[in-house]
Amino acid sequence: MNSETGSEDPFDCIFMADNRYHCEAYKEGLAEGTRQGLLEGMSHGRMHGARFSTEMSFYYGFACAWKCLLQNNTDAKSRKRLRTLEALAVHIQAFPHNDPQHATLQQEVEKVRAKFRQVCSMMNVPADFREYVTVAAGVSF
Amino acid sequence: MKDTLNKLHKFNAHPDSRCWYVAWNPTGTLLASCGGDRAIRIWARKGDSWECSFVLPEGHQRTIRKVAWSPCGNYLASASFDATTCIWGKKGDDFECLTVLEGHENEVKCVAWAPSGSLLATCSRDKSVWVWEVDEEDEYECVSVVNSHTQDVKHVAWHPTQELLASASYDNTVRLYKEEDDDWLCKATLEGHTATVWSLAFDPTGQMLASCSDDQTVKIWKVCQSEDEQGDRSASTGPEWKCVCTLSGFHSRTVYDVAWCQQTGLLATACADDGVRVFKEDTNSDPHQTTFSLSAHVPKAHNQDVNCVAWHPKEAGLLASCSDDGEIAIWSYQSEA
Repeated sequence: MNSETGSEDPFDCIFMADNRYHCEAYKEGLAEGTRQGLLEGMSHGRMHGARFSTEMSFYYGFACAWKCLLQNNTDAKSRKRLRTLEALAVHIQAFPHNDPQHATLQQEVEKVRAKFRQVCSMMNVPADFREYVTVAAGVSF
Repeated sequence: MKDTLNKLHKFNAHPDSRCWYVAWNPTGTLLASCGGDRAIRIWARKGDSWECSFVLPEGHQRTIRKVAWSPCGNYLASASFDATTCIWGKKGDDFECLTVLEGHENEVKCVAWAPSGSLLATCSRDKSVWVWEVDEEDEYECVSVVNSHTQDVKHVAWHPTQELLASASYDNTVRLYKEEDDDWLCKATLEGHTATVWSLAFDPTGQMLASCSDDQTVKIWKVCQSEDEQGDRSASTGPEWKCVCTLSGFHSRTVYDVAWCQQTGLLATACADDGVRVFKEDTNSDPHQTTFSLSAHVPKAHNQDVNCVAWHPKEAGLLASCSDDGEIAIWSYQSEA
């Protein structure tokens, strides 16, 4: 019995080689793919996070600068503008900066962007959003 | 279908161009039209025909998609694909542009004045709806920008008695907005259409809302005071709007516009199949399951797509329609009874 089993081993080794290499290669490939995917995901996340923070910080700086400029004005119009600037700053401060998986992240971004556009309109500041908001091109009716 | 729409007049308002929209002034003495030729013309009845009383100076760089009269009748707002909205007023014997509202990123699709005359709404392909406030010095200030639609916003309309705003979009939905803490917020999303919602209109009482779509249907939404739910919930979200009727099978192509007659409650539609139709609410209709029937249909009302229908504000049953062929038609609704 022993000699028979022993004599089967080499053949087994040869016949099963295909399967064995396939499994090993799969494992190696998976490990390599996971590593590359993580790197790619990290750089993608880093890029988008940076772009996004730039946008939000820009809005925040804008709100703070205008608040400083208007804070000593007492006329009704300036008060109204200040209130809107304050609302923009509050929106940004309440923003879930540290939670990229926040359920309503996209909605929050849209809210801040909308508020910023309202502020620009009130201040008569022509805002060029191309850098921040990409608009789908195409035919419109 | 026992009633008829009789054609009273037809005239070429925007030659070699599309006529996008027509709007009656509040007293019904003037009809404003706008078109692909970037022109705004104001028409008045002179004896038996319709004549152009005013041609507004060129104020827009691109197509003018919609025009709206202020409730006082002294101002006209125009929404253009050049991303601006102009406010026109009469100075002496002519109209002149008083203010240009800027802020939308691209094509402005619609403009509407609130019944109070102190608020104005605009919407655009940039997916946003803007609410503007008019002060005593006729200065306009943006009070809110709402980004709740996910696509191009086609139309905005105000509730006849409340400060409630409705919008229709390429994202297949209708949204309703109310003011809250200095801001306008989306309070409800009406889902049901399976394609672009092109237009909407409140009925004279404000209890019903009609929406029309690329899915070839018209839907009627009704306010439902939800008695069975907790009072605090309905107080925060407001009354619910539910679809009580879907008019399908009547239109063979996109329905571009709906209009509700102030006097008769008749509902007119403008369709891409060149037809104009009038629907009437059935008198024995169950309040929870309203039914409408087609009461008049003009199959070839125009040579091309009908873009807009507008009932005269004072004269019951008088209807204006306009088309891609540049023409405006005036109709009289005749009931057999």
